[in-house]
Amino acid sequence: MPNLTVLESLNAAMAHELEHDPDVVLMGEDVGQAGGIFRTSQGLQQRFGSARVIDTPLDEKGIVAHAIGMALYGLKPIAEIQFSGFIHDAFEHIMFCAARYRWASGGQYSCPMVIRAPSFGGIKGGLWHSQSVEAYFVHHGGIKILVPSTPQDAYGMTIAAVRDPDPVLLVEPVPLYRALSAEVELDGQPIEIGKASVLRQGDDCTVLTYGPIRHWVAEVADELAAERGYQAEVIDLRSLIPYDIECILSSVRKTGRVVIVHEAPLSLGYGAELAAVIQDKAFGYLHTPIQRLAAPDVPYHFSIGDEYYRPSRDRIRAAIERTMEYEI
Amino acid sequence: MARKRGGPSGTGRKQDKAIVCPLARAEELGIRQVIDQDGKLTGDLPEPDLDRETLIRLYEMMVLVRAIDERGWTLQRSGRVEFWIPHRGLEAVHNAATIAFTMEDWIFMGYRHPGTLLLRGAPLVQLFAQYFGRRDEPFKGRRLPTLMGDRRLNVVPMTTQVGSYIPHACGAAWAAKIKRHDTRFLAMFGDGSSSRGEFHSGMNFAGVFKPPIVFICENNGWAVSTPTDVQTASATFAEKGDAYGVRNLRVDGNDALAVYAVTREARELAPEIGASLIEAVTYRMGFHTSSDNPDLYRSKADVEAWEPWDPLVRLRKYLEHKGFWAEAEEEALWQRCKDEIQAAIEEAEAMPLPEPASMFDDTFAEPTWMLEEQRAALLDDLGGKA
Repeated sequence: MPNLTVLESLNAAMAHELEHDPDVVLMGEDVGQAGGIFRTSQGLQQRFGSARVIDTPLDEKGIVAHAIGMALYGLKPIAEIQFSGFIHDAFEHIMFCAARYRWASGGQYSCPMVIRAPSFGGIKGGLWHSQSVEAYFVHHGGIKILVPSTPQDAYGMTIAAVRDPDPVLLVEPVPLYRALSAEVELDGQPIEIGKASVLRQGDDCTVLTYGPIRHWVAEVADELAAERGYQAEVIDLRSLIPYDIECILSSVRKTGRVVIVHEAPLSLGYGAELAAVIQDKAFGYLHTPIQRLAAPDVPYHFSIGDEYYRPSRDRIRAAIERTMEYEI
Repeated sequence: MARKRGGPSGTGRKQDKAIVCPLARAEELGIRQVIDQDGKLTGDLPEPDLDRETLIRLYEMMVLVRAIDERGWTLQRSGRVEFWIPHRGLEAVHNAATIAFTMEDWIFMGYRHPGTLLLRGAPLVQLFAQYFGRRDEPFKGRRLPTLMGDRRLNVVPMTTQVGSYIPHACGAAWAAKIKRHDTRFLAMFGDGSSSRGEFHSGMNFAGVFKPPIVFICENNGWAVSTPTDVQTASATFAEKGDAYGVRNLRVDGNDALAVYAVTREARELAPEIGASLIEAVTYRMGFHTSSDNPDLYRSKADVEAWEPWDPLVRLRKYLEHKGFWAEAEEEALWQRCKDEIQAAIEEAEAMPLPEPASMFDDTFAEPTWMLEEQRAALLDDLGGKA
């Protein structure tokens, strides 16, 4: 198996789909000749031609809206938004057109398309280049949301997203693009959408997380086990819509304690929904209040955001300790 | 201080005194015509090569569409239809444009374009089932009355935010080009849509990627209460195409023959040149919707200036000059339209409403467990009443 970065895995998955399905096209700002500003699509235009790997005008709304038309006609577009911080201009088209066409046409039309949203902080990108926008897209059905955080997931989720019959938002982990590599099985197989990964088993506390910081959470959990004997079960949700309720509940029933960690803002963030569902379905199992660790409801700070806006290792550790040591 | 009058319609403001229909100044304003007010050839555009049968079908459809509007209005006012978007005065543009395309071509229609579906073979009862929100119309009662379409007829339903579907249509046409299909595309939208970012996106991409599409900007003078000179300071909507490298022209939107001629030409040119933007200059004779009150913002004189340019009357006079139509047939046609509409209303009103739990269908190809759970909760709370 080749050792690939997250970036190379995304590239390999797109190349695989472009090669095996003539209806797949990739479009976005600078994705063609330049191979994307991160080089995610490097070499793809040279290989598949400029009619299928398309440099577009600088217009996020236009990219997504034209991809919708392509999907209505029978193509399977992969539309890249250069940074998720620029996705909001396309919000109406993602949520009220792509995610609604099947329903609003009585099932006559559908919009099978992928919207790639390079996301998350940690690259000294400031407000517009560090955003975690996923919660905006959770509010109503019609679109699936996947968050790969390993090279294999980046590969398998991209393939799953391209082949899904409905629109999929692929929330890509920018800070991991080149920072993380691993052996990847290039089997051309999609991962199953809606399944979480248990990164670390434990009986004391369930930590639910997703995105790049899932690696910090797992590391901190290992340290706490060694130092304090707290055995945390760490779950990478991987898929936000739909999410793996069975995996979550079976863990919560076992541990009775829950910490939710994400780097999007706190209020009405994804953790709010998880907390509500868990108390609804597993109230009798809980020993402590569900705790959320998230970014504050403020903009992403340029010079100190990477250290203090995102949940740091120290704060993750403190959150798990607080839950473990909670007294009524 | 009174606003300087201008803008693409040339009529509009309530305080205006001498109102002249821009169609009376067509040559000066660059508005292309085949026939004049009396249905006589102007000598501008050549008379299109349409046979008697097609011309009569077009005329009869325009009359049927007007009859639908009259009846739809009374249905709304009597509480039987929840909402109505009138289309009186706008019969020429969408019907003539529709017959300029083949059945394999795709049309993105707006909400004032019922004739597009009917000309493509939708039965009248299907339209009324949609107006009544019935279960068995193509969109299962989910959309506001008049927001129609039908995939079986290659007519894509508009997304409701006006103009939002301009880039969708452009993207679909681009897809056909990528797939090397010969499908051509028509997208119809209003003057207000041209102010949205999607108009810019669609025109800009169309100029760059040259998809086989005809955009018709149906300039009916008003976006709800907003006249065209508040919508834009451009002298015309057509000329906006210049900025994008998109071929453009203005046509008399109340001259069905001219609309047909320029649309057909644009369709034929599409594989070679890509998009065309046609500004069809017409007038919304009715309210914006059943929730509107135009007395608040426009004068009766403004509407009256357009009355002599009625698209139905002009086409009928043309047909009479050609010996294709006689006044005696007029009453029979109207009666037939009214009878067909009455029968369609009775059939559609008897159709069932959607079941409550059907609102969960078609959200995804396969419902998520989350939606299944919400559906079950609704059914539980309804106690089997669904």
